[in-house]
Amino acid sequence: MDFIITGFIKAIQLLITGDPETWSAVSATVTVSSYSIGASLLIGIPAGFFLGQFEFKGKRQIRIVVDTLLALPTVLIGLLVYAFISNRGPLGQMGILFTLPGIAVGQTILALPIVIALTATAVESMDRLLRITLMSLGAGRRQLVLSSLWEVRFGILAAAVTAYGRVMTEVGISMMVGGNIKWHTRTITTAIALETNKGSFATGVALGLVLLLIAFAVNISVSFLRKRT
Amino acid sequence: MTVSEELYRLNGLEHYYHRKPAIRIDQLVIGRNQIIGLMGPNGSGKSTLLKLLAFVEKPSRGEIRFKGKPTEPFSRSIRSRVTLLTQTPYLMKRSVFDNIAYALKIRSNNHRPDDDVHQAMAWVGLSVSEFSQRRWHELSGGEAQRVALAARLVLKPEVLLLDEPTASVDANSARLIRKASLRARKEWGTTLVIATHDWQWLFEMCDDVLHLHRGRIFGTGLKNIISGSWQPVQNGLWEQVLEDNQRVVVTQPPSLDSVAVLDPGALQVMASSADKPAIGTCLDGVIARLTLEKQTGSIVATVTVANINLKARLSSTRVDRCRLYPGRKVTLYYDPRSIQWG
Repeated sequence: MDFIITGFIKAIQLLITGDPETWSAVSATVTVSSYSIGASLLIGIPAGFFLGQFEFKGKRQIRIVVDTLLALPTVLIGLLVYAFISNRGPLGQMGILFTLPGIAVGQTILALPIVIALTATAVESMDRLLRITLMSLGAGRRQLVLSSLWEVRFGILAAAVTAYGRVMTEVGISMMVGGNIKWHTRTITTAIALETNKGSFATGVALGLVLLLIAFAVNISVSFLRKRT
Repeated sequence: MTVSEELYRLNGLEHYYHRKPAIRIDQLVIGRNQIIGLMGPNGSGKSTLLKLLAFVEKPSRGEIRFKGKPTEPFSRSIRSRVTLLTQTPYLMKRSVFDNIAYALKIRSNNHRPDDDVHQAMAWVGLSVSEFSQRRWHELSGGEAQRVALAARLVLKPEVLLLDEPTASVDANSARLIRKASLRARKEWGTTLVIATHDWQWLFEMCDDVLHLHRGRIFGTGLKNIISGSWQPVQNGLWEQVLEDNQRVVVTQPPSLDSVAVLDPGALQVMASSADKPAIGTCLDGVIARLTLEKQTGSIVATVTVANINLKARLSSTRVDRCRLYPGRKVTLYYDPRSIQWG
């Protein structure tokens, strides 16, 4: 029990003193998760809107696939991305294995089904009168899409926060694609795994606390945004 | 009607929901600066017709010409000019001001919409200081409907389509909605098309009333529409038994479910059965309301007979002489040969 309490005390010390190794992992995590969440929102919001708004052949089948991908294991994504971007893989010439962009590609694949599925659900639950109202007020096709997205903004925010939480806390992709290289691709989660294996519980707990703090900051920001809009 | 006065022309219009016909109109012309009423029971196609006229849905078949040109949803010629107010208003998740200003902002030719928004709010009786910054969920049903109407009026529309706008609002909101709509017609020449069960609205204000039944138009003006299932009786007469076992007797219908159309002038209202004419069929009922008909100056008596409402046109002298008033039991007489078939 003592080592846990000691861990918490050391964690606070590490954070207050600005331990460079800890902050390197924090920086890598924030950088890579920002890339991946940006890419997944850019692709996922239009795809989710299309899936939720329009009726087309095969829509149900696509929805089932997207919902299934919500349970995609991170180690499987890591394995597939590794296979594609390793020297022998079809995208090997890109040279992004064991880099932050490499991890971001894998995390984008992880976040994308979450953003698509939750955006589609939000759009599907939109009042059918919204379309009639917007068209009645003179909205063109582009304005219809943008205004509809604005109406379901809380649903999309929820999708973004959920996806961000999943991306930030994954280990499998970061470990396999990033290689857990100190000062370079070591993220908070891979660092926790390593420190725990080494028996350095204090550092592990400190990094865990940082992870919680980042999640807390993201949720506070989202809550503030909701209030403002 | 001359071509220059024509606003809408509907040709061979058909619209289906899940392969079931909702509207079938061979031809219909609506003139500029008119107030047209749409009457008919629920499911008769009133809302569908309004959606088609508002160009928020594309008809399954046929065409709608607006100002002489075939027009479709998102056409530039109708955007911000033709607007529809639905029975249940949808307010966007923003303040009252932003809801009303939305249409002006997307039209992007008005970067300072304050004056227009405040004017529209005043028209529908909403105080700017009290309501402007209220959120969409902080309004009563009547207030929300008035905000929705203000959001349309701010456009100064050429056509305002109203789908039962006063059906679920309080009396004061209904009065303000009526007043604001009529003001739009007076000040900007807005054409109004109104689907409503509000008799006062229809017969005191409308230039013409279209009767819809099962997606078809059964003529204009004041009419009694009785949908059947008809059964043969005797002497070539057919009947329909009402909920209270009274019988509506008619001549042979074209089919068992044909729609009988009875002119209100062909119905006689008797306060006493001693006045019963020699030929005819009688039905007992209760006067539900008396309404003044704008165009003729006659009184329209709505008489509830079992599960149907029948309208009879009377002179004010007769209403006075027979001492007719809402709630009074009366007997209706008509000659079955005066029935027409829709």
